[in-house]
Order: sequence, then C-alpha cells, then structure tokens
Amino acid sequence: MAEPAPSRNIKSMPSNWRLLEPDPGSRKHAIKIKMTSPESASQRKSILTSAARALSEATGLLRAPQRAIPLFSRLASDQLRTTVSHRHLYSYASTTVPTENALRSLIEWILQAQKADGGIAAYYSLLTGYSNSYPEVTGYIIPTLYDFARNPESATGTQTAGEINSSAEKAREAADRATHWLYSLQLPTGAFPGGLHGQAVKPSPSIFNTGQILQGLVRAHIETGSAESLKRAVAVGDWLAAIQLPDGSWSGEAAYQGTPHTYYSMVSWALAQLAAVTRNPQHSAAADKNIDWVLEQVKPSGWFDGINLRSHPTYLHFVAYVIQGTLESGILHQRTDAVQAAAKAAWVLLRKFETHKRLAGTYEPDFTSGQQFACLTGNAQMSCIWLRLFEITGDPRYLNAALKMNELLKQTLPSKSRRPRAIEGVIGGVAGSSPIWGAYQPMRFISWGNKFMADALMLEQRLTRQFEKKFEQELPARPEASECA
Amino acid sequence: MRLAVLCSSPYSETGCAVAARLVQLGHIPVGALTLPSWDRNTLLRKVGQWGVKNSFRYAVAKLAPGKPNTSSRIRNPYLESALRNREGIFRSVHELAAVAGFPVATCASQNSPHAIAQLRQWSPDLLIFTGGNILKDEILSVPRLGVLNSHLALLPEIRGMSSPEWSLLCNIPLGITIHFMDASIDTGRILIRRQFVPATDCESFPDLRNRMIAEGVELISQAVAGLAQGTLAPAPQPDCEKDHQYFVMHDQLKVLAARRLHQILPRPVAALNTHQSGGHNG
Repeated sequence: MAEPAPSRNIKSMPSNWRLLEPDPGSRKHAIKIKMTSPESASQRKSILTSAARALSEATGLLRAPQRAIPLFSRLASDQLRTTVSHRHLYSYASTTVPTENALRSLIEWILQAQKADGGIAAYYSLLTGYSNSYPEVTGYIIPTLYDFARNPESATGTQTAGEINSSAEKAREAADRATHWLYSLQLPTGAFPGGLHGQAVKPSPSIFNTGQILQGLVRAHIETGSAESLKRAVAVGDWLAAIQLPDGSWSGEAAYQGTPHTYYSMVSWALAQLAAVTRNPQHSAAADKNIDWVLEQVKPSGWFDGINLRSHPTYLHFVAYVIQGTLESGILHQRTDAVQAAAKAAWVLLRKFETHKRLAGTYEPDFTSGQQFACLTGNAQMSCIWLRLFEITGDPRYLNAALKMNELLKQTLPSKSRRPRAIEGVIGGVAGSSPIWGAYQPMRFISWGNKFMADALMLEQRLTRQFEKKFEQELPARPEASECA
Repeated sequence: MRLAVLCSSPYSETGCAVAARLVQLGHIPVGALTLPSWDRNTLLRKVGQWGVKNSFRYAVAKLAPGKPNTSSRIRNPYLESALRNREGIFRSVHELAAVAGFPVATCASQNSPHAIAQLRQWSPDLLIFTGGNILKDEILSVPRLGVLNSHLALLPEIRGMSSPEWSLLCNIPLGITIHFMDASIDTGRILIRRQFVPATDCESFPDLRNRMIAEGVELISQAVAGLAQGTLAPAPQPDCEKDHQYFVMHDQLKVLAARRLHQILPRPVAALNTHQSGGHNG
C-alpha cells in the first residue's frame, strides 16, 4: 500500500495509535515539546484529529461486539508469542506450515475482502471490520490474482482437480472485476485518486497510487488482451510522464506530502512494464529518468535516502518499496547500476535477518536502529526481493533467507486449525504488525500484506522447483563403489 | 607454549576432545574457560539445533550417574579415541582437568570482563576456540599468538554456518581449515587448509559433520605442534573483500545438499536427519 489523499491518510493511523501506547510519561513529554514549537497550532489540530480517529476505531468494537473474541484471541496469542518466543540461529530453518496451505488461505482472504463492485478493502480491522475499497491496492493485487490463476496447483493441498480449476476461475474472475471497477475511477487526466474509495468529496489524483494501479491495468491487458485496459494504462503513463519533474522525480500536489520520494521507484517499475508492452519511448524514458534520480540518493551504506515521510517513521514497507522498484526497473531495463544498488541494500537487510532472525519494523537512515516490532508486509516484500535476486544472480543465500522469512510469515498467519472461532477477515489475513499492536497498521489485517506474502510464496514455489530441477541435472552420475574405495 | 581452551559448555565433546588430545601430545592447557551448562540461551539454541529428543539424550549421556565407560556416552563416536581414559571416557572438561591438572573457569560470556580477566591471569600464548560466542577484539587480543579455530569448510570459499552443507550445495570440495580468528566471521589468517574426502560408509549429514569435527581436532593438534616448533606460519586469506559468509541452511536446501553427498558416496545416504550433531557449527 499506499498513499491515500493526505486528508484521508490511512497510513497516518500508526501515528494516531501511538497516542494509545502505554507510556504516558513520554507521551506527555512529546506533546509538551510539540505544543511549544512554532507549528504548535497545526500540530495540536493533528493530534486532536488523530485522537478522534483512534477513539472512533476503539468504539468500533461497541458497534460489533462479536469482534471481541478474535481481538482478544489475537492479543493473547501475540502476547504469548512475544513472551515465550526465542529466536536463535536455527529459527525458521524447518518448514512447519505447508506453503500451499498458506497460499490458499491468503488468496481466500483477498477474495473475501473483495466487494460486490470489484473493489478490494484496504484492511480488516479487529475493531471496525472491513474498510472501504482501496483503489491502489485493488490495482496491484490484480497481478497477484492472475499469477495464482495461472498456477492454482501451487495451492492444491488436498484439493481435487475440480476444486483447483474453481480456485483459478475465482481468482481470474476477481481480477477481472477489480479491473472493471478501476475503470470507473479513472480521472479525465488519466490519473487515479488517492485514498479510500468514497471518502473524499472531490477525488484528487495521487502519483504513487496511480503508478501502483498501472501495474494492474498492464497485467490485465496482458492476460485478457483487453484494448480498454491498454488504452487506460497508456493514459496513466502519459499523465505520469507529463507531470514528471526535469530531475526525474515526482513532486507537487499529487505527490504524498507534496515532496518527492524514492519509493516512487515502484511507479518507475509500472512505467517500465507499460513500456515493455507499448514500446513507447516516452514511458520508458520516464521510468529511466526516475531511476536515475533514485540512484543519486543512494548512500555508501546502501541506504536509499529520500523516502521523505514526515510524521511517520520509515517503515520497512517503504524501504522495501524503494529496493523492489529499483530492482524490478533495473531488471526490466537491464540496468546493472540499479540492480547492484538494490542488491546492496537487500544484502544489508539479509545479513540483519540472518543474524537476528528478524527485521525491525522501522529503520533509521543507514539501516541503523529501528523499532522492535515486525512490519510483516515489509518482511514479505524483502522475501520477494531476495527471491528475485536469487533468480538473477543464482546466489542460493538469497533463496535460503527467503525460505526462512516465508516460514516466519507463515507462522504468523491465522489458520482455521489454530483459530476455530475466528471470523472472516482474520483467517488467512496478514497483520500489519507483529505483535498486532505494533506501530504499523495496528489491529488490522491488511490486503497489501496478503498480496506481498502471496507473491513471495508463489515466487518461492516457482524458483525452488526450477532450482531443484537444475540441481538434479547438474549432479554427476553416482560413482560405483569400486571407484571410491 | 601456554595454551587455553574455550568451550561452549563443560560437557562440550569437541572442547573436551581438543583439550584431551593436546594433553595426550604433552601440551597441558593452562586453563579451560567454559560457558555455563544450564544457560537458558544455550539450552534453547541446542534444542533448536538438535531437537528436543536429541538434546535430552545428550543431557542424559553426560549427566547419568555411573562409570562413563561405554561409547554410548559419546554423541560423536569419532572422538572416542581422544576422550578415552583408563577408566572409560571423559564426559566433561572438569573430569579431564581433574586428571590432567589444569583449572576450569566458567563465564556467562566469553567476551565478559570476568572472562577477559581470567584469561589475562592465565596469560596464554594461544587460545583454542571450540565453540561459544562470537569473539570480540578485546578477547582476541589477549593471547600472544591469537585464537585458533577449526572451520568445517575450505576458507575463504565458505565462511559461516552450515558450512559442509553449503560446500555440497555450491559444489565446492568439502574441507577443514584451521585459522586464526579475527573480529569478522572466519576471515582470519590460515594455518592449515585441507580437503576432506568422506569415507565410503558415511551415513548422513550428522555423521559427516562428526567425522569432520574429529578430523578438525587432529588438525588443531597438528597446528599447535607446528606453531610450537615454528614449522607453520599463518597466511592471510585471499579475496577477503568478497562476502563469502553463509548462514544456517534451510532444510529444503539441505535435501538438495544431501543428494550431492549421496552422489559423491558409493552408497545411499540414510534418510536426512536435519538436526545438527555435535560440536560447533562452523
């Protein structure tokens, strides 16, 4: 996810929730500092707004008390996990949750989160239930659904052939409906609006969200041959190219918080995908130009500066966005500089994960200290990045780390067997944070978490199959006993 | 030469075997420094490494009362010759120390001030590392010559963890390297670098690892002898800028590595036991 319109920014919720964290002393201190600063009026307003939102979320439970059971169940299980879990060098080195079962749960969660009109909810909150549909996430879930539809046997488990075909058909149909819903939202300029559907009086365009939706439109065209999807995707590409700044960045009103961001490399990736279809040099050049700008922000440590999020910590989700967008653009445009920059940052995080068996939920510049909760979406994105690096470099250490990360993720996934009383929106949902009260999307199961985790598991299955096949082919003939004696 | 041994626990077979082998060769250690046997982190790591059943069996083998006169008390059968004494086998470094006459000290961490002070008091020329913590600069600078380690792969090709498995997966010859430790992982100067050809009756990864550990104990004693006689000189590792560090291997990849082991042996490797066996995991 995600970049809603600033006034309806669901990504600002974590900062809202920090008001509820059990540290009243430091909170008072923080507020006191803010109140005496020159921007105190606006900050006071922001705090009040945040408090109102947090209160609104909290009262959601009163409106639907049946959610109390999964809420307290999850709180208890995460507290237990936090208390007794002991990570060591051998953590996650064995498979305890079958990948196909987890994948099936993830896709079923997404299908349940899809509304009748085709839009997919941003999240399921343990306090307020499903959110409104979220155009951005709906857009970039489309490739995930088509990937699943192309290879439904990756989630077979004990399913029959008929059930497999049915799963594929459902996923494809969901992707088609999502695409058609997005058609209805496109603005005359070609852009798409930010934020949750139906919340803004006047939809305002969002560069990032438009870029993410572009991924879905391009894929829909590739899968279905739809001229409509292509026409709309081209309109998106033209708009993105037209508003790009001369230095290659995107800024202005349609940029989040009005500033350029390096994680808009994801937009470049979408443009590169479009250019691969249209062969339009304008789209291709815009993607390259942005990657040039992103690479100028790389520090010697491998850290990408310019994530530029005011009033948010730098969640792993955004760090991974920068890396993923740079890597995928580099692969599509055969740019060694981009791939190397992405690989350097990815390797820093791989070492951290392998050494501590966790990634921090947030990072400070140069990958220094971060908050000690897990941003599960960021974890899943890193798994995707490592798997892609394995695919292009052949270095099995990337695959090894991804297998362990996927195992970690699978162990946090609520399953039917573990949560017999859980209600829809919980089973198969990827929590924003682990523990669930962590700073990133607390108390929520988020659809883009499911998207990235499903991507990671499907990549894992595809690449491990390929690797095993190649490995078998390269094995020498087994020597006879006499030869070794 | 004044030698001291660092052990991951008083019951570490590898630590005890190294010390015992040195005693057999006439190099009585000036002391052995061990981590506590009931440390929570160590126990949990061992359970993660070996599994509950194997960890329990190990504890029983080491702690059960009675004369330790059977080889069933050894997890790594290839260390038996080093651990054997007149009355049976040494089950702990304490038992060996009582016979050979050297002190044993326990520390919560090998990098702790207490450990550093104890080592400074012993004033060793050479420390032999057989398992425990990642050593920091302060402890590395205590011995005059350095800290020796036996790594279960050829350096610099495969550094870090699960090294025999990674060697097989990456199609690099199996090997053992005796090297001085520095502040990075397995990047120190090399004393002995030797290929390891598994015997034809090698049964599994744990068995392979046990054999390599035993070979490492022999090579450590050779290295000590070479240093004492001045016939061995360490050489810096080539290609140190390149990152060759590997991490604990996931079971799914171990299955593939086992297939490679199966291919280089004349008869099938038994069902893969994914839990590590014995000693450190270099």
